[in-house]
Amino acid sequence: MAAPLFLLAPPRSYTSLVNAMLGQHPQAFGLPELCLFNVDTLVDLWRGSNTEISENGALVRHGLLRAVAEIYCGEQRTTTVNMALAWASVREQWDTGRVFQEIVAKLHPLVAVEKSPSYTMSVKRMQAMRRAFPDARFVHLVRHPVAQCKSLMAINDGAFALKVEAFELGEDYALLEPQIAWHDINLNILDFLDEVPADQQLRLRGEDVMAEPQRYLREIARWADLRDDDEAVDAMMHPERSPFACFGPINALFGNDPNFLSGPTFRPHKPKLPPLTAPVPWRTDGGGLYPEVVALAKEFGYS
Amino acid sequence: MNAPPSSSKPPRKRLSPSPENPETGRRDPSYLSPHQRALRTAMIDAFNAKKARRFLERNVKHISVNRDLADGIKFLFDEHGRPPANAPLEDVIEERRLIEYQIVWFEGILLELRNRLIRVKEVEDYALEMLSRASPDE
Repeated sequence: MAAPLFLLAPPRSYTSLVNAMLGQHPQAFGLPELCLFNVDTLVDLWRGSNTEISENGALVRHGLLRAVAEIYCGEQRTTTVNMALAWASVREQWDTGRVFQEIVAKLHPLVAVEKSPSYTMSVKRMQAMRRAFPDARFVHLVRHPVAQCKSLMAINDGAFALKVEAFELGEDYALLEPQIAWHDINLNILDFLDEVPADQQLRLRGEDVMAEPQRYLREIARWADLRDDDEAVDAMMHPERSPFACFGPINALFGNDPNFLSGPTFRPHKPKLPPLTAPVPWRTDGGGLYPEVVALAKEFGYS
Repeated sequence: MNAPPSSSKPPRKRLSPSPENPETGRRDPSYLSPHQRALRTAMIDAFNAKKARRFLERNVKHISVNRDLADGIKFLFDEHGRPPANAPLEDVIEERRLIEYQIVWFEGILLELRNRLIRVKEVEDYALEMLSRASPDE
């Protein structure tokens, strides 16, 4: 079966858009966030496990239910999502790698494209992806730390930073600090990619894709051994055509960032790149980026 | 656009103060010292209090009383509460059925409102508790 392509990035790094764009390639199929590798066994997505709590409750399952409804029934309605629940029920004791393999086999010869930012919270989760798909390709999507952190703090006051223990600890205080999440999650990805052959990985700056989408989407397609002609590139410029680029039926509404679901159309733009040395907007004490964060950002090509 | 070379590198050091749980690979606050855990808990409490405060600000609405609840109920009785002297039995039965149906309807609404009140009280109690535990300068 065609090896899948995974996007690896912290949340708020253009992953929803890029995933949907790549997924619109004529030889690919963009999936919603399946979150399968968050747990070992499919049933644990419902009940949690001894080592992992069931993250986000029911929301974590919406992507999988919508995907199964679309792939096996051709549409996403309450009835087909109920069918997807029955499908999952029959496979509840399966290893999640095996579940993903079945979905990928069903999509063959299309290349499955998926991203779940929660995978990057742990190197072990990403290693599980590679065990299931040794030939998978990985795109490490990076974003400027200040822009990403600002976006992260705008969602539920930075609740994600709490989830990944991103806080600054002083003698008598603890302060939520999203740049720690940016740094540590990107290190998780780098640690994981150390184990991946060079020809199976690619690093891209999200800002570059936003500013010159045709150029970079064409190069990704070429790297992934997909067609890179004008027709294929033009198809990728329309993420809004994805069957998952909208809210789902009432019993599986999400499966992706709600902001993307309510406005998936792509418009090329050149994101501003703030300086790495200025005070960061989410701190009230005038503090800036940590030296480690600046060093990593420079490694990614930001200056 | 570059594919980074794969090479063995020294372990990369994380910035999160919570050590890694070797079983899950995720940062785990249970490995912090008691003092660090207390600081972390205070931070989370402040975060939740702020969240509850914002939720309350968005959702407190003016409550108005509906004074027209009984307007739709039709009675066969006159202004003295007496039924018409020649009221047909069919009409009396129909009126009885209508009133029983409306009672069932009102009982359903009452039950739903009681359930909602329980949930709203839980949110209110939790929010007040969070506010009382938040530090003064939050």
